[in-house]
Amino acid sequence: MSSDRKHIILELDNVGFRYDRHKPFVRNLSLSVHDGEFIGLLGANGSGKSTILKLASGIVKPSEGRIRLWDKDLQWYKNKDRAKLLCYLPQLLDIGIPFKVKELVSMGLYPYDILPAITVNEAIDMVGLGEKADTNITNLSGGERRRAFIAMTLLQGAGLLLLDEPLANLDIKYQLEILRLLRELKEKKNISIIMALHDINIALQFEKVVLIKEGAILGFGKPEEVLTGDLLKEAFDVNIRIKKQESGEAYISYGIDI
Amino acid sequence: MKTFSVIVIVSGIFIASLFFFPETINPFALNAMERDILLYIRLPRVIVAILMGAALGASGAVLQGVLKNPLADPYILGISSGASLTAALGILTGIYIFGQFSIPLTAFAGACIASLMVGAFAWKSGRFLPDRLLLAGVGLSFLFYAVLMLLISISTHEGIRKAVLWLFGDLSIADWSMIPYGLIFITAGLFICLSRARALNALMLGDELAHSLGFSVHRERLLLFISIALMTSASVSLGGTVGFIGLLVPHIVRFLIGADNKILIPLSAVCGGAFLCLADLIGRSVMSPMEIPSGIVTAIIGSPYFLYLLRKKDVLGS
Repeated sequence: MSSDRKHIILELDNVGFRYDRHKPFVRNLSLSVHDGEFIGLLGANGSGKSTILKLASGIVKPSEGRIRLWDKDLQWYKNKDRAKLLCYLPQLLDIGIPFKVKELVSMGLYPYDILPAITVNEAIDMVGLGEKADTNITNLSGGERRRAFIAMTLLQGAGLLLLDEPLANLDIKYQLEILRLLRELKEKKNISIIMALHDINIALQFEKVVLIKEGAILGFGKPEEVLTGDLLKEAFDVNIRIKKQESGEAYISYGIDI
Repeated sequence: MKTFSVIVIVSGIFIASLFFFPETINPFALNAMERDILLYIRLPRVIVAILMGAALGASGAVLQGVLKNPLADPYILGISSGASLTAALGILTGIYIFGQFSIPLTAFAGACIASLMVGAFAWKSGRFLPDRLLLAGVGLSFLFYAVLMLLISISTHEGIRKAVLWLFGDLSIADWSMIPYGLIFITAGLFICLSRARALNALMLGDELAHSLGFSVHRERLLLFISIALMTSASVSLGGTVGFIGLLVPHIVRFLIGADNKILIPLSAVCGGAFLCLADLIGRSVMSPMEIPSGIVTAIIGSPYFLYLLRKKDVLGS
């Protein structure tokens, strides 16, 4: 199925945002996300990845332009109704509160007054934390904690996940574990995911990538179209080349000037 | 099992306070004097202790959650020092417009004014900011205490001792007439914070996650602050300031049952009430007929237990 025939679930139309009155932080940003897409948001530190995710989740409000979620302007949603459609996880989940895993996960039910499609235990099992349901989240590893929060979003049942650097500060093993889990959820539940990223190698594995610089989009599309030497040079200010192995798998190679 | 033990302990304290200490009164063979002691002295005092303790325990649990700070105590917000200042002003100027209610009423008025002031400092363009709340509370507390100490140091009024005793928690002024309004404000505060317990859980995960879970962050925080202000103001005006309960009871409960506010808040209220009742019982029994202020007893019993728990388990925020 071509992406044109899928629904647009999130649309940023010419969005601008400024933290400071004189200096725009996000400029003329337009982006459409379709049903079931898995999109990587790639850019250097301070390029505006987090701000774009916060705009899309309604945490900060745009100074210009419009953001639509499904068929309605984001700002017209009631908090609880929005929470059933869209879920945001911040980068730092280092929360020193001794909630148990099952207490944390069950918070995903807060927007609802009715019983959910899946139970708390099912959500915990899906992320592979079944044996740790009664453990305090303060005693989990970084990867496990991330998975516990993802279980919470599953219970929340939102069709769109906005994840701010979910792989940051994780060992490669946990990074792959989280990616595998997210892919699986996307396939099984047709969830759309936008995640901010740092690692270009990982971005190469995505269906679609958005490359950001100074709050504006440099490129949006398939990784092989967007992650070219020129655009990467512009985004990260270093010489990076994408090469292909004999197997066809792409990888990045840094220029000699680093 | 845990619920059962809590019920047994709480009722045990309640019965002991009413019938056994300092002197035993047999409820099945009352003479006229014993009946009066029971109905007009002990019962109102026990009820005031339970109400105050419950208000402090619950508001401490809520405030620690709102500020995500394990050192938060409802008294840190300046509400109690505002109350102490106006109560002392009332005593020292000798203005007893409301007869015997003068101290509690002036204290309540002071607590309300202080709550409004600290709340106004925390509010900035549609946002209710916890850091500002904490700092404004600390700042206002210092100011109120400074003025209070100034008053005490320059005053030669005979009521000064009464004012100082009141500062350490004086439950001996407990009287039926004060109970209804204390009950109304404390129940209202408890009702608000219990109905917002889910929001508080979400807020403890951070503002962004609370937003993502469908809560209006600043509105919820303002409601929680109002519940703290109601409970703390009512408790201070019932019997002065009793330290330790608001700070440590929620910690102890958290050690025992975890951090979920849906259970933590009601259980902190129950344990706070029972604990103040016990402290008051000890305070008026060990050196009878002399009384030790409850605030001193709560600190002497509670602090070692808290320090013991601290060695054994993790604390909030660590």
